[in-house]
Amino acid sequence: MRLEKCWFCSSTIYPGHGIQFVRNDAKIFRFCRSKCHKNFKMKRNPRKVKWTKAYRRVHGKDMTQDSTFEFERKRNRPERYDRNLAENVLKAIPKIDKIRVSREERHHKNRMKGKKEKLQREAVRELEQGISLVKAPSVLQEDPSLTLPKIKVKVSQQQSEENHPMEE
Amino acid sequence: MAATFASRCSRVGRSLFSGPSKSSPGLFTRSHEMTCSNVFSQQLRTFIQMRTVLKVVDNSGAKKVMCIQALKGKKGARLGDTIVASVKEAHPNGKVKKGKVVYGVVVRAAMQKGRCDGSEVKFDDNAVVLVDKQGQPIGTRVFGPVPHELRQKKHVKILTLAGHIA
Repeated sequence: MRLEKCWFCSSTIYPGHGIQFVRNDAKIFRFCRSKCHKNFKMKRNPRKVKWTKAYRRVHGKDMTQDSTFEFERKRNRPERYDRNLAENVLKAIPKIDKIRVSREERHHKNRMKGKKEKLQREAVRELEQGISLVKAPSVLQEDPSLTLPKIKVKVSQQQSEENHPMEE
Repeated sequence: MAATFASRCSRVGRSLFSGPSKSSPGLFTRSHEMTCSNVFSQQLRTFIQMRTVLKVVDNSGAKKVMCIQALKGKKGARLGDTIVASVKEAHPNGKVKKGKVVYGVVVRAAMQKGRCDGSEVKFDDNAVVLVDKQGQPIGTRVFGPVPHELRQKKHVKILTLAGHIA
């Protein structure tokens, strides 16, 4: 039993699934489902379609280089059956899987570093720029209870309080 | 609904063929170009039936044949089936002359065919290999890929002559 990869989205194709298209130069395009087949017929480039594995690899979303990927590889020569080898392989599979998942998590964490601060900064900027859409500037001026207590306060403790709601 | 469809089509059309920017002309150019460029993979996805013109992919001397009868099946022939055909175009000094009635095995079909495991296979064009009444190929070479299902149909000779088996 051979598990192929979809030409478009690189997902695994189990036997009996999908469709394969044979071009006249004998290149075989395998597709996991009609979604991928249709996208191929529309001549879309999988590197430019966001949900495919190819896109995620090109744009650094997924882990690309790792030693755990070396185990899953297409081998043209079938391995001669060996009971011990088969046992060891079956034992190793969950371990390798676990390592791969943890490394992927680490990669994702690294990639998302600094995201929270960035969101915070953007939110603050939006609040500063867009407060006039919610309250007219004149209203803000004449009714000090609506604004953040800015002009009155001189004490350093309350200044920190003043900044605090802005950041949120 | 229709508006969204038109806008989507125009966007795709512009990106693919850099057509005009208006929505409706973009739509027309797209459909037109599609039919021109993808004539094999888009259009001919039907059974091989009477008056279907097929390419001959062996060195028997015929270039194009027209199906006049499918030997099995009510709707027509599919991948691996045998047809009766008349030669429409032929090389000047080949074994098979123009106007002869020949038998042929469909080795490539643009219509998808289910495989034994449940997946499907389809090809670029409709192609045929000419055989005699006993099922022996007339030519001595077969060009392009052929499906392995021919083995079940007892056309092992064609499989051995073919370079690529899909």
